[in-house]
Amino acid sequence: MNEIRLTCPPRLDKESGSELFKRLRHEKVTEGQTLVLDFSETEFLDSLGGARLIEISDHLRRWGGQMRLENEHGDVAEFLKVITPALSVTSSIQPKEVEVLEKIGGTAITVGEEIWQFIDLCIDAIYWTVLGPLEGKGFRWGMLLDEMHEMGVRAIGIVCMMNFLLGLIIAMLSAKQVENYGVQILVADAMMIGFARELAAVMTAVVVAARTGAAIAAELATMKVQEEIDALRGMGLNVAQFLVAPKLLSMVLMLPCLWVLGLITSLSGGFVWGVFVLKFNFSVWYTETLNAAHFQDLLQGFLKTIAFAIAIALIGCHNGLRVTGGSRGVGLMTTRAVVMDIFVMICIDIVFATIFYYILG
Amino acid sequence: MNTKDNHTIIEVRDLVTHYGETQILDHVSLAVPRGTVYVIIGGSGCGKTTLLKHMCGLLKPSSGQILYQGEDIVPMEEDDLAKMQRSIGIAFQTSGLLNSMTVGDNVALPLREYGNMDEPLIQAVVRMKLGLVGLADMAHLMPDELSGGMRKRAGLARAIALDPPLVYFDEPSAGLDPIMACGLDELILDLRRMLGITFVIVTHELDSIRKIADRILMLDRGTVIFDGTMEDVERTETERVRQFFERRPDEYIVQRTI
Ligand SMILES: Nc1ncnc2c1ncn2[C@@H]1O[C@H](COP(=O)(O)OP(=O)(O)O)[C@@H](O)[C@H]1O
Ligand SMILES: [Mg+2]
Repeated sequence: MNEIRLTCPPRLDKESGSELFKRLRHEKVTEGQTLVLDFSETEFLDSLGGARLIEISDHLRRWGGQMRLENEHGDVAEFLKVITPALSVTSSIQPKEVEVLEKIGGTAITVGEEIWQFIDLCIDAIYWTVLGPLEGKGFRWGMLLDEMHEMGVRAIGIVCMMNFLLGLIIAMLSAKQVENYGVQILVADAMMIGFARELAAVMTAVVVAARTGAAIAAELATMKVQEEIDALRGMGLNVAQFLVAPKLLSMVLMLPCLWVLGLITSLSGGFVWGVFVLKFNFSVWYTETLNAAHFQDLLQGFLKTIAFAIAIALIGCHNGLRVTGGSRGVGLMTTRAVVMDIFVMICIDIVFATIFYYILG
Repeated sequence: MNTKDNHTIIEVRDLVTHYGETQILDHVSLAVPRGTVYVIIGGSGCGKTTLLKHMCGLLKPSSGQILYQGEDIVPMEEDDLAKMQRSIGIAFQTSGLLNSMTVGDNVALPLREYGNMDEPLIQAVVRMKLGLVGLADMAHLMPDELSGGMRKRAGLARAIALDPPLVYFDEPSAGLDPIMACGLDELILDLRRMLGITFVIVTHELDSIRKIADRILMLDRGTVIFDGTMEDVERTETERVRQFFERRPDEYIVQRTI
């Protein structure tokens, strides 16, 4: 027999639908069989009853069977019409099983693609920042001034405050450490060396990454989501030239300035502790600090700052331009930009430490 | 077929395109005659915007050709593509105005970049183009100070800033009240008559299609199911097209065997 006939109950709802499903499962469905559901007695059908019908049709399809409805009438027929599309679609809720190797391969491809995109952006951005203007291809100087104001001038307050406080804390902690040896004056040296090589650059860059890096990513991502980027490209404008280059140059110009301010304020933080708490003479502390300043340390901090600036600007732009989806994508990419900024900063730090201490000695 | 055919301004041949794994367009072909208003219709998500973005070179197809003035833009390098894009105007679904500058500066943007004009002339052109779309005195406002309809029109003004021979317009009247939508239709017809612009327009508004369309292309799930004039629409047998023009909802066609 190639047909199973079942009569639906007068009221088809959650419970009676479940009964119906059980009755079906007693019959063994085989390939090519058709289930005929007779609705002649059915006067009532609610949405959970309808959902049971969908379960039944999924079950049948799993065993290669089919379903046919008969004798539906009145409201029930109307309702059945509405759920017909759902009956004929295979349930797609079961997650696809992904093989481990497939997953690893997929990730490798995505990462590779992203790195390639990033390199592409770097080349474009550097071309339009350095060579483009030299070849007279145009640079948005007006935009550069705006960006410098936004990235540099408006960040002075927070950068100085953070560095000052960090300077104060480091002086406080290290003074406590050397208290018993009576060499507290060496705190001034430690401050100078530590902040010139490392801390001022990192602190400043972290503040700027959180502030400007996030802003760059969010701005470009929003522009992308609102079709502004497409509009620019549609006018034949180059996004790297129009948007990325001014941000990159402005960052490379402003971050070193902020670093200088950060270095000065952090040393003042140490100075405040040394003079007002440790009661050192003003000029003693001052001379000690200056004596500890070495060109190589300052150079290292400065070069590191330049590398940080390039990283912050390009990572912000890269993540902003990669956004997909709506406002949620903007949020995700902004977060991602800041996390990547900080990670890359640490990597740059390691590279510099290796070069300056192990290669140059 | 003659590729240097002067009658056709842009032609698409066998365009196939994917977003990731998902195929969006399936062997779409079309040809837009010069000086016409060519309307693309179809349900939401069927790939109309995607088709437009390919036709202006913003996206690269998986296969197929796109001939603009007889030249294939698919294999073009960025520089040539940029040159080609300067000669077409695009008004986006969400207007695509840059929110960081005033409406006037938005319209002036392509002029400043490519127009080779001095500033007073640019200002005059901006006022003229904004005047054409009825926004002459709004140049100093920021895009977010405009209403939706005004933004659409400002987007159109920017699209026609360089007097392009071809303008793409994505859903011009979506979200506009009937009076404003009607005004926009008039504007499109005026611009075609006065400036000889060819329009490729994506729209859903039946009234506006009846009024402006010289030729209609209908997409359904990424394939072309109709290409013809308004008279052809009246005669067509294709169920999906009739349904669209008669505004009938999808029927739950009762499949007796499921
Ligand atoms: N950037 C994208 N990434 C992935 N899928 C997309 C993207 N843009 C559009 N799509 C998908 O492509 C299909 C066609 O989109 P679209 O061309 O915008 O349709 P419409 O005809 O409504 O303009 C939709 O199913 C949409 O989900
Ligand atoms: Mg669209």
